[in-house]
Amino acid sequence: MAQARLDRNEQINGWAFIMPAMVLLGIFMIYPILWSLWMSFQVGRGNAFSFGGLANIQRLANDALLLQALSNTIIFFIIQVPIMIVLALLFAVALNDATLRLRGIFRTLLFLPCVTSLIAYSSLFKSMFSNDGVINQALMGLHIIDAPIPWLTDPFWAKIVIISAITWRWTGYNMIFYLAALQNIDKSIYEAARIDGIPAWARFCKITVPMLKPVILFTTILSTIGTLQLFDEVNNITQGGPGNGTLTLSLYIYNLTFRMMPSFGYSALVSWVIVLIVAVLSVIQFFIARDRRRTT
Amino acid sequence: MLRTSSRLSRSLALAFAGISLTSVSVAAGELTIWCWDPNFNIAAMADATARYTAANPDTTFAINNVTQDEINQKLQTQLLAGVSDGLPDIVLIQDDNIQRFLQSFPGAFVPLSDSIDMTKFADYKVAAATYEGKSYSLPFDSGVTGLFYRADYLEEAGYTPADVQDITWDRLIEIGKDVLDKTDKQLIGMDFNDDGQIIMMMQSTGSWYLTEGNEPNILDNPALRESLEVFQEMSQAGLLKPVSDWTSYTGSFTSGDVATVPQGVWITGTIKSMPDQAGQWRVAPLPKLNDVEGATHYSNNGGSSWYVLSSSQNQEEAIDFLKTVWAEDVDFYQGILVNQGAVGSLLAAREGDAYKASDDFFSGEPVWQNFSDWLSQVPAVDYGTFTPEARLAVRAQLPNIANGGNIDDALKAIDAQLRQQMQ
Amino acid sequence: MNSYVLKRGLTYALLSFAAFLSVFPFFWMVVGATNKSTDVVTGKLSPGDNLITNFQNLASQVDLVRIFGNSFFIAIVSTVLTLIVSSLAGYGFEIFRSRVRERVFQLLLLFLSIPFAALMVPLFVLISRAQLNNTFAAVILPTIASIFIIFYFRQATKAFPHELRDAARVDGLKEWQIFLFVYLPTMRSTYAAATIIVFMGAWNNYLWPLIVLQTNENKTITLVISTLTAAYTPDYGVILLATVLATLPTLIIFFVLQRQFVAGMLGAVK
Repeated sequence: MAQARLDRNEQINGWAFIMPAMVLLGIFMIYPILWSLWMSFQVGRGNAFSFGGLANIQRLANDALLLQALSNTIIFFIIQVPIMIVLALLFAVALNDATLRLRGIFRTLLFLPCVTSLIAYSSLFKSMFSNDGVINQALMGLHIIDAPIPWLTDPFWAKIVIISAITWRWTGYNMIFYLAALQNIDKSIYEAARIDGIPAWARFCKITVPMLKPVILFTTILSTIGTLQLFDEVNNITQGGPGNGTLTLSLYIYNLTFRMMPSFGYSALVSWVIVLIVAVLSVIQFFIARDRRRTT
Repeated sequence: MLRTSSRLSRSLALAFAGISLTSVSVAAGELTIWCWDPNFNIAAMADATARYTAANPDTTFAINNVTQDEINQKLQTQLLAGVSDGLPDIVLIQDDNIQRFLQSFPGAFVPLSDSIDMTKFADYKVAAATYEGKSYSLPFDSGVTGLFYRADYLEEAGYTPADVQDITWDRLIEIGKDVLDKTDKQLIGMDFNDDGQIIMMMQSTGSWYLTEGNEPNILDNPALRESLEVFQEMSQAGLLKPVSDWTSYTGSFTSGDVATVPQGVWITGTIKSMPDQAGQWRVAPLPKLNDVEGATHYSNNGGSSWYVLSSSQNQEEAIDFLKTVWAEDVDFYQGILVNQGAVGSLLAAREGDAYKASDDFFSGEPVWQNFSDWLSQVPAVDYGTFTPEARLAVRAQLPNIANGGNIDDALKAIDAQLRQQMQ
Repeated sequence: MNSYVLKRGLTYALLSFAAFLSVFPFFWMVVGATNKSTDVVTGKLSPGDNLITNFQNLASQVDLVRIFGNSFFIAIVSTVLTLIVSSLAGYGFEIFRSRVRERVFQLLLLFLSIPFAALMVPLFVLISRAQLNNTFAAVILPTIASIFIIFYFRQATKAFPHELRDAARVDGLKEWQIFLFVYLPTMRSTYAAATIIVFMGAWNNYLWPLIVLQTNENKTITLVISTLTAAYTPDYGVILLATVLATLPTLIIFFVLQRQFVAGMLGAVK
């Protein structure tokens, strides 16, 4: 009886705590989502649209540009996200050391990229990576290369520029979450491990990483979605070029919506492709997690 | 300090008020205008509105600085949502971008040809905004092209201004090679994400990426093919200085790195922004393509026009304003030419004094007279519905072509991407 | 001991290198704000004497007090409301588990991945019908329940010790009291991080304010900077000065709040 009351109490509190957020999301999320789902079955230009059944899905299946955008996005995702997460984690751990001097300064400096304005840093990146920019001059000065690398005019090298740009901008941002989370680890655990003679890297792998797992998961999902929605850098540095080499899903959706003949039905459908990818990734992640649980 | 904080608290109070109030209504008789460059079209518009208000004190204007991207985003979102609240009365839209608005949102714009005589304006400007027999634009600035060049570099390589008058692109390439040899300066700054260079060459023959507005004109388009060939040859000869955006493009000539700038007349202001280069620059007619029928020295790149939105509460005033100032006041056009370097599309404006004046920056050439003569001869093309799609498809192939890729394959790829996107 | 010194030296060297890379564009931005536009374009890297002129040009084009006031109002109100609503929800999802709420949460995570462009038009219709066009409420309301921040708080709450909550319950505290008096002070560093992130997001928000804020008086600094870049011959000195000014608030907030990353919650656990 008492147990039942406790359960009901838990239920009431559970809903009560999330209620304000649910009401707001219900208003500002559910209606737009339903609208966009409905739109994704509409064909036509601008305001003159009509129900097109599966016509948009057919168009999707034949869309070579979408395929290119998808593969570019996946390349960015596979290469960039791990590099950034590892870097951010290492910086956070280094800066969490209480004996390190100038910690506050270092933290702030590493955080600077994500507040530096997009307009400023994208024009600077473009000039640094231009044919006669400092990067090429430095590499040629050091005799690493003989001829300038066509950073911004070759699809392959342009991808490298974009990956560097996103890593540069977002590593400090991810570091914040780790710094905050590191405070939640009881320092006595480290003390005990140190006394037991466990080396630093083992302490990092065996204590820090497992303790930070929820936040690492959070930043990984965040970066995944961030990459799938990558827009600012490609729009400002390469405009998706050269030769569609840095066209991303999000830029493609933007082009479909605002730069080409407006066909909102189709651009809505492409948006749902991103949602579908995330759904598939989550299911995969769910199965991996379940298998691991079984074996342990 | 006290004043600052009281102003801050006042603006906070206003902010709070903003939350409870519904949208702010515009005072009767005030026309709102969206355009984007304070030194160019905003300044020109401000001059026009001052003239109109002087004669019609009841009409006032609010000119808002809204970027081209923002105009696309706001207009499109609002027209699609069917919300006219907050839309301006008059808006400036780039010529190759207007057809998709006219066709996607029928009835959203007022057909100005019903009340304004369009024969007063350059044909090709009117054609750009004509849809189903009606013209919707009050044509504004022209993108008529010319070949701006550094006379001093050419002289160093042994060429006189007469050597670049009325030449072909092939001849320009030869000159460019000599200039590169003797002065180490490349010919043209080229953004591989911009097909403006291709467009200028192609439109000079009267052809376009599309025919009749919506049929791809890629595979059997001799003008496009030769334009791409010229581009490839220049690239292979090392005559193109790769730039990555607008800033580095303008930097390529303001810093003296390239010998020529084939561009729309609106670039004049940027070229003249380096006073120490006065006397070194001159302007020749755009080179023409060799083997293409209908090839001329006259083309266009960019340019925009004014539109009146049907949702405007002050439609009649807006039309009357455009009609009395923008479609009649020749004197006004002299002012914006001198002050903003804006070459309008009103043909009568050429007869004014300012157009006849010579320019010391360009060694006393009558540049404005030349540009306005060329303006009247620009072949009209139908930009059609899918120009943005076509431009993106062409841009995608530019790096490939520059590296010596097969032009037939490139044309096929352009055609395929364009057809795929045209749905 | 030697290896300790070596390791320390290496750490400092790497951090300094990373700091240099991080600072350089910011440095360029600050230097550019003191130079003429033509110097910025040609890549001048030394401070110039054009700061005052740039400021005068900027102030003559933009009502700085008004525009920064708008930005601060929107960012501060958004941050406070988002932190309250979203931390409550994150806490609720983690502490009170049920099958239904778990499904709801998974659905939310999926919604997180919908590109905003797909939702913008219907959201705009909604805001217009509510007659909220051109108000700050239109900017703020849709951002308050942030799935991203809810998710962050939920993940961070996983480190919140159960013993603390159990002890508080034994003491007879109600659930809202536990949240307010036990959870909130314990999670200071989490709130600090979230404040930085939410403030920065609200301050830099572009596309949505662009659509709903219609008159010049209501614009934010982020919107104004975008219009400065639109000219055919943009004045880069003025633009960079504006971006430096627009950066300062977030930077100051970061600098102040990052101390929370040291304070920690250990005292509370023991």
